[in-house]
Amino acid sequence: MSDNMVKIIIDDVEYEVPAGMNVVDAAKWHASNDIPVFCYHPKMEPVGMCRMCLVEMGTLQRNPETGAVMTDEDGNPLVRWFPKLQTACTQVATDGMVFRTNTQAVVDARENVLEFLLTSHPLDCPICDKGGECPLQNLTMAHGPGESRMNFSDKMKLDKHVPLGDLIFLDEERCIQCGRCVRFQDELVGDDVLAFHERGRTLQIITNSDPGFDTYFSGNTTDICPVGALTTADFRFGARPWELTEVPSIDPHDAAGSNISLSVRLDRDFGGRAMIKRVMPRQNEYVNELWISDKARFGHHFTRSEDRLQKPVVDGKDSDWATAISTIAGLLEGADGDIAAIAGSGMSNEDLFALRSLVTANGGKRLGAWPTTHTGADLVAAVGVGVGTNLSDLGAGDAVLIVASDLEEEVPIWRLRLKGAHDRGAYVVVANARKTRMDDFASATPRYQAGKAAHWLDGIDKADPEVAKALKAAQNLVIVAGAEGLTLDGSRALMQSAANFLIDSGHYGKANNGLMSPLPGPNGMGLHYVGFTPEVTADIAQNPPKVLIVAQAEILSDDPYARAWLDKVETIISLNLFPDAVADMAAIALPIQSFAERDGTFTNGERRVQRFYTAQGPMGDALPAWQALSRISEHMGQGKAKASAAAVMVMMSNELPAFEGMRYRELSRTERQFPDISGDDMYYGGTAYQNKGGLGKVIPTTAEQGETPARADVSLPPVLEVGKGQFVVLPATRLYNLESTFRPSTLVHPRIMSPFVEVNAADAARLDINNGDVVEVKLPDVSVRVRASVNGGAPEGALVLPRHLTDDPTPMTVAVGEIAKV
Amino acid sequence: MTHIILREKDVPNIRELDVYLANEGFDGLKKAVSMKPSEVIDEMKRSNLRGRGGAGFPTGIKWSFIPQSEPVKYVVVNADESETGTFKDRQIMENNPYQMIEGALICAYAIQATAVYIYLRGEFWDIAHDLDERIEAARAQNLVGDDILGSGYSCEVYTHLGAGAYICGEESALLNSLEGLLGQPRVRPPFPAQKGGGLYKEPTVVNNVETLANAPYILRVGGEKFAELGTQQSTGTKVICVSGHVNKPGNYELEMGKHTFRDLIFEMAGGIPDGKGIKAILPSGGSGPIVPATDEVLDTKLTYEDCQSIDTILGSASVMILDETVDITWAASKMTKFFKHESCGKCTPCREGTFWLDKVIDRILRGEGKRSDVELINNVAANMQGTTLCALGDFAANPILATIRHFPEDFYAHVDGDDEKAPVKAAGD
Ligand SMILES: Cc1cc2nc3c(=O)[nH]c(=O)nc-3n(C[C@H](O)[C@H](O)[C@H](O)COP(=O)(O)O)c2cc1C
Ligand code: SF4
Ligand code: SF4
Ligand code: FES
Repeated sequence: MSDNMVKIIIDDVEYEVPAGMNVVDAAKWHASNDIPVFCYHPKMEPVGMCRMCLVEMGTLQRNPETGAVMTDEDGNPLVRWFPKLQTACTQVATDGMVFRTNTQAVVDARENVLEFLLTSHPLDCPICDKGGECPLQNLTMAHGPGESRMNFSDKMKLDKHVPLGDLIFLDEERCIQCGRCVRFQDELVGDDVLAFHERGRTLQIITNSDPGFDTYFSGNTTDICPVGALTTADFRFGARPWELTEVPSIDPHDAAGSNISLSVRLDRDFGGRAMIKRVMPRQNEYVNELWISDKARFGHHFTRSEDRLQKPVVDGKDSDWATAISTIAGLLEGADGDIAAIAGSGMSNEDLFALRSLVTANGGKRLGAWPTTHTGADLVAAVGVGVGTNLSDLGAGDAVLIVASDLEEEVPIWRLRLKGAHDRGAYVVVANARKTRMDDFASATPRYQAGKAAHWLDGIDKADPEVAKALKAAQNLVIVAGAEGLTLDGSRALMQSAANFLIDSGHYGKANNGLMSPLPGPNGMGLHYVGFTPEVTADIAQNPPKVLIVAQAEILSDDPYARAWLDKVETIISLNLFPDAVADMAAIALPIQSFAERDGTFTNGERRVQRFYTAQGPMGDALPAWQALSRISEHMGQGKAKASAAAVMVMMSNELPAFEGMRYRELSRTERQFPDISGDDMYYGGTAYQNKGGLGKVIPTTAEQGETPARADVSLPPVLEVGKGQFVVLPATRLYNLESTFRPSTLVHPRIMSPFVEVNAADAARLDINNGDVVEVKLPDVSVRVRASVNGGAPEGALVLPRHLTDDPTPMTVAVGEIAKV
Repeated sequence: MTHIILREKDVPNIRELDVYLANEGFDGLKKAVSMKPSEVIDEMKRSNLRGRGGAGFPTGIKWSFIPQSEPVKYVVVNADESETGTFKDRQIMENNPYQMIEGALICAYAIQATAVYIYLRGEFWDIAHDLDERIEAARAQNLVGDDILGSGYSCEVYTHLGAGAYICGEESALLNSLEGLLGQPRVRPPFPAQKGGGLYKEPTVVNNVETLANAPYILRVGGEKFAELGTQQSTGTKVICVSGHVNKPGNYELEMGKHTFRDLIFEMAGGIPDGKGIKAILPSGGSGPIVPATDEVLDTKLTYEDCQSIDTILGSASVMILDETVDITWAASKMTKFFKHESCGKCTPCREGTFWLDKVIDRILRGEGKRSDVELINNVAANMQGTTLCALGDFAANPILATIRHFPEDFYAHVDGDDEKAPVKAAGD
């Protein structure tokens, strides 16, 4: 028996379990004994509220002198039983604990608690969204009384459609007051926007934020709610759980690569084709545990948007694939090898590989990544977080540095998990030019001058010696380096500074140490591994090619300065979900499928290659990008078109060392994860947690592959010249915005901020700008009218201008501009 | 007998600081600060004083649970006084307030607390205001605040008002309320005395007003002398709050074990009005089991152990007398309504059980009940007992379980014999 294992007895069988393990968890994990619970959730502190987990509990009697367990005449151990039943959820395992979970007293207690709960519960299972996957239903079937002694007419009559916000509805009658939703928001998210109101039988859930339920994680409460009290505006009354097929997928919105499950059914509203009815989290304890952001949950509507590009367009006219392919073949042949490509991160690894193959086979060399805000993925590949990293492992003694990123807005799941690290005692540093939400969960919040993140980190020993010391001394150190308020050069410098810091302090090449970056989109690391870089994009902009293939990169919607150089490209071939401005100027626009309509893999910010599966019927004639591209290759005699994404992966894994061994079968492997919410689970609620699609596989860093990473000199970008009356304009990311992959989710529209610029209060006072005033922000060749927000968010001398809130693009990288009241 | 707690009955105006000081006031604290903190705790242990808030837990032992190694510790005075039929803490605070303050400071010194919080029920706002002034008066005499009596020990005393919830008298709910959280009980362990369980997670002693008001006397005369009063298991005196059908309701401070219920009711409280007969006694308000006023009960001595022997509790000694005219079903309904109203709703059996009991007992009182409804409430109450998060759930079961046990005929009078609808009868309200 190892030091931290103890022996406990459950129903007369002895088990060895880790000391301090919650008894409900220990019973389930080690004894396959499902002690029923409602309020307990293994990710949160126990509260002992529902009383469903009552068990008999005792301790072994020991001889006070010898410490030996005392026995009766028959040799059975003597147990000192507690006079009352005890809640298992509030007990942690210590040596010599004894439990009985199958005695009459326990059976009665379970039946009684269920009877009590049902006295107030409405009988609307037949119209309840949770019906079919409801812990209350399941546990009533297993442990409940056969009939009710409560007069039906005596039941509480309460409001059944209380909007807690725009996204979540509360049915007050169904709520069993378990408090999971409140605790999730308080403990795990740190947005304490829910609360209990009143007391006794009138105790109810309320929201106390304005707007209601103001958080990016609200949907998770509907999953953990053990009844149908909380439902999403998206799925409410949309389908019955047993009609749904769960298709494993990956959140296509950010670098976390949250594992999701797309619940689909053949639906009348979608012409009888398979349609996403809801998005649920899929357990991957390394990536997103049991949680997803509301963007992941509610941001799937773009896949079915009527605005999707549905047919190939050749010379401005709807066409067909055969025509489009032969036209493209002709264009490529005529380009004399002056071909380049720019790809966005919505492209899967397979798509990118097919694109790379096509470009290189036709003499092209330049593969650009979009957007050109972030770089340094090569450094993530070198000194990124090691294989086996789990942000949930970070705690006391460890450190995290988040620099130049508004993590809440960029990768909300990382922000959630790193808040957890802070709660567990990790030293979390959030360095930025301005205040961000993550500051609330930080141990230190150093500020640097707008645009000077790399200067700060490179000189941290002088600028913030205490912080530097603490970071270096940490047992494990993770650096999350973004690119907020930087130029591409600034981003490079920051990433290099971060890499140097890690190399100097030895925090790389092992689990829970190294570099991460909130690269935009789901496949920023995939772009790197297949050879697409933002530096090449910059080069393409400098020296436009004859033929440019633009794949899932909405360059003109992102960058106000791109038209100038795109105009110089002779021929543009566009592959996109939407007929965006690039498609408009393209000779040929090809409709491609979204992540939901086909299968493939993304490589997340922790370099985990993860599969997503075909879930939804295709839109129009759209094809997977890899397929369209490899058909062009075939047409040009450059190899047979691949039959499946899996086949592309086989080829890729043979050609690109990073993908060695990444066969689909490998990627779809799962393992038993804690907490164990296997399919026959009766109490955690939600059918979609179970991971049947695989945990994915991490590409090891080059450091782990035996390459010694070398620190490199940081070339600090020139300091911005800010004239009199001018401001540094910092672009910022908002999670909810008008990007084409989010805009169609109209139910979230009330939560999308109307366009604004943050102005420092002192600056605003000087310029006589008040909160809410309409102002004009003038930048070179661009000007936007937005409302001023004077709330302390912007540092003096700087303006924070969130991107993608206006119809016309605002600058992607830091710039110098002016502001005036209109 | 001279009073230990209700001293205003012997010394007029003892509520004023000069009078209190002239009558051995703060001598107990002076004695305490001349001793080692652990010696003060030992003195309390020797007194065998038991908590007067209801549970009767030995006070000295409670103080000794505080881990001395922790730098921050608190004393919380439970002045929520919300048990049905209690009104003793109010009288103490109104008429002999310095004795409570002195007792709290003795406790604070004994555990080396950094501050004392007096948590008063919201309705006691006037008392809180008065206490604030008295605390300042005591500060002027170097009895509160920095370097108390030149001892080098410093301690602040604050008052805090609740918002009107019975459950906030329960110590862990009280601590939540004091911290500004929802007034709901906490899971224990950790207990208030432990790190993590007390006020702001720091080790905390929670004691009732009356409990602490005993401490100055104990320090003055010594624990052993104090223990000579009363019985071995119930030392000292107890302030008994008498209410209901008696001629002279009020607070009576009695040496424990020297008097019976009969003495209390018929001698001190002047008997039952209009010469009516006595039917039942609630020795501890609505939260303890009711007992029929039999000779055996009436001759039971007022101690913790004697009350236990007749299957009830002394609790906070809020003795309510019900005369022969009272319909016990009606009384049970009143008490059930109280607990339904006061259940915090945190745990299932109490939240749902009190609600359900109230519905059924109402039905019985309306004459629409069936015989089986009496068994139903008995069973529902039994299912609540022992399964709830805090003792309120157990309390809430008592008015049903004990009333049906002792007065089944009162219930069956409202329902007819064959489980059919019974004629409506007067409900006594
Ligand atoms: C529902 C409930 C209400 C209570 N109300 C009070 C109260 O109003 N005043 C009080 O002193 N103790 C009350 N108590 C007891 C306290 O929890 C606690 O035991 C007491 O304050 C300890 O002090 P003592 O040891 O001095 O008695 C209550 C307990 C429960 C379960
Ligand atoms: S809404 Fe659901 S999760 Fe929240 S308290 Fe009610 S039952 Fe529990
Ligand atoms: S027993 Fe009643 S008062 Fe106590 S925690 Fe449960 S619901 Fe609240
Ligand atoms: S009380 Fe243990 S699960 Fe609710």
